[in-house]
Amino acid sequence: MKYHVITLGCQMNLSDSERVISVLDEAGYTWTDNEEEAGLIGILACSVRQKAIDKVYSRIHKWNKWKNHKNLVTFISGCILPSDHEKFLKLFDITFQMKDLPQLPEMISRYGITTPAHLKPGIDPYNKNIEEFWNVKPSYQSEFEAYIPIQNGCDKFCTFCAVPFTRGREVSRPSKDILAEVALLVSQGYKSVTLLGQNVNSYGLDKKGEEITFPELLQQVGELGNRMNKEFWVYFTSPHPRDMSDEVFEVIARYPVLAKQIHLPMQSGDDKVLIRMNRKHNMERYRGIVQTIRRILPQATLFTDIIVGFTGETEEQFENTRKAMEEFQFNMAYTAIYSPRPGAASHRWADDVPQEIKKERLHALTEELRKHNRIFNRNIVGKTVRVLVRGADRKDGFLSALTEGKLIVRFPAENEDLTGHFADVRITSASDFSLEGELVKVEELV
Amino acid sequence: MHQITAVRNLTDSAFILQMERKELPFQTGQFVILRHPGSIAQREYSVYSGEQEDVLEVLVREVTDGQVSPRLKKLRPGDKVEVDGPFGFFRFQPQTFSTQKFLFVATGTGISPFHSFVHTYPDLDYQLIHGVRFGEEAYEHDHFDKQKVTLCTSGDKTGDFNGRVTDYLATRDIAPDLQCFLCGNSEMIYEVFDILTGKGIPVQNIYTEVYF
Repeated sequence: MKYHVITLGCQMNLSDSERVISVLDEAGYTWTDNEEEAGLIGILACSVRQKAIDKVYSRIHKWNKWKNHKNLVTFISGCILPSDHEKFLKLFDITFQMKDLPQLPEMISRYGITTPAHLKPGIDPYNKNIEEFWNVKPSYQSEFEAYIPIQNGCDKFCTFCAVPFTRGREVSRPSKDILAEVALLVSQGYKSVTLLGQNVNSYGLDKKGEEITFPELLQQVGELGNRMNKEFWVYFTSPHPRDMSDEVFEVIARYPVLAKQIHLPMQSGDDKVLIRMNRKHNMERYRGIVQTIRRILPQATLFTDIIVGFTGETEEQFENTRKAMEEFQFNMAYTAIYSPRPGAASHRWADDVPQEIKKERLHALTEELRKHNRIFNRNIVGKTVRVLVRGADRKDGFLSALTEGKLIVRFPAENEDLTGHFADVRITSASDFSLEGELVKVEELV
Repeated sequence: MHQITAVRNLTDSAFILQMERKELPFQTGQFVILRHPGSIAQREYSVYSGEQEDVLEVLVREVTDGQVSPRLKKLRPGDKVEVDGPFGFFRFQPQTFSTQKFLFVATGTGISPFHSFVHTYPDLDYQLIHGVRFGEEAYEHDHFDKQKVTLCTSGDKTGDFNGRVTDYLATRDIAPDLQCFLCGNSEMIYEVFDILTGKGIPVQNIYTEVYF
């Protein structure tokens, strides 16, 4: 039987899908790019994002119509709220939690017979058996970039977020398994590895005394990099400021394989909004972390996440966020317009900032980001930077690449075989959100 | 699944649910999530009882159109409830603070974590300011040292102060070395935050738990 899987979510869902594909391949199903010829279609979705859920409904209604003229089995998993889970039970043939992935082939073979997995009323919040999911060998969808889940779930309960209710409690994966997966990937020639977790830097806190801490994990990855003597970059996402320690940055500074790029979600630049978001960090704490990054890792690029128009956000509070953007000079800000998600605590509050105002605020922050990036990027013109080539660019005759700090670089080259290789590119011009240059040398020629 | 061991009705809408603790290892200030067995609707409640107690207690106010509290109100000793947790970072360990004088400010059922603080650490040097509409909502104030509690009532004159906690705090001198803990609705927390910082309390000495 042919199958097709669609991923609607973040890197965590992409990582989930790599394990789903692996399980289905192992069970004898055959991948097809064409969903119309598939007899088995699945979605890895995310209840945390309204857009993703809207797309799920659109797809499943279409697929259920197809069932009038073909045999089709559908499944859904990922980060699903208990309330969405209940609705999906009626629409999909199979719904399951990621921790139950190893049982997916059995669920499919028994399709038509109600199984205990179908009848589970909600989500097991304790992530029992999550190790069985982690033990599934993923089918990596790239030959040079990979995501490694190191931690699952969230105990932080930010009021805008439903992750604690979709992925359950924080559970850390055994470090020996993580290190083995990094070693395997690097030995196979992978150049970019991202350690994934909903609160990636909370790693180990659920197993104090039994498992190493996040800085210790990074250190062991760094040591592995030194021993393997191969060039690769290791990233991590997404951390929480509350559990961030100076030690993390000190370790990153010591090891060349630990990429000098930090993603530090701020969410808002106003202390009162942070209180209402239940972020458990204030701007003084955030500012302190950024100062530490600038001191220990002066070359690092800094990325963030921001929500505009959160419940009750006043003009003055938004202005504090804009000023924070100005102060911290982020290289990238993933800015989202607030929308209440069922399951998140803020869903009970009035969504009282008008959509037009939210859009204006989004626009204002984008302009702030643009202003800083323009200056930052122009300062790189004339320099030669190391990049990882990622494939053809939208611009004909160009390839697209990322620096270690994840700045976008494009350069003229026809040969797509450079994809997945490191190269040196001399930057010749800069725009607000990308750089353009010319190829100096490729890793094999070095 | 935790069995209900007692219910104490405090007002028409507020009540204490006491249940088996089952060695749940919470730290005072944390919350648990309660769920009626088999239901997907759930709600967060700060633990009301102290760390040393054999039972677990939560203070619940019934919201008549709510999905959880009306069902909790129907629970009787012997019934069961699902308890998830503990969670949260409003944890209180007095020995970790540089100064040992504490100000607790609560509205309504926001008194719950402070009840747990005081039962866990009976010798605390604290002042509790509790804001409610009517005097009957002074939930189990007899469990606190009378000298250390100020009841602010905005809807009648039965309290120690007639007005909101913010009105009370605005008129008081507050020592700048106090460690301040605020629990209740976000509007109160916003206003008290401004009052305290305006009186010279450093932001890092203010700890908040928003109820919603």
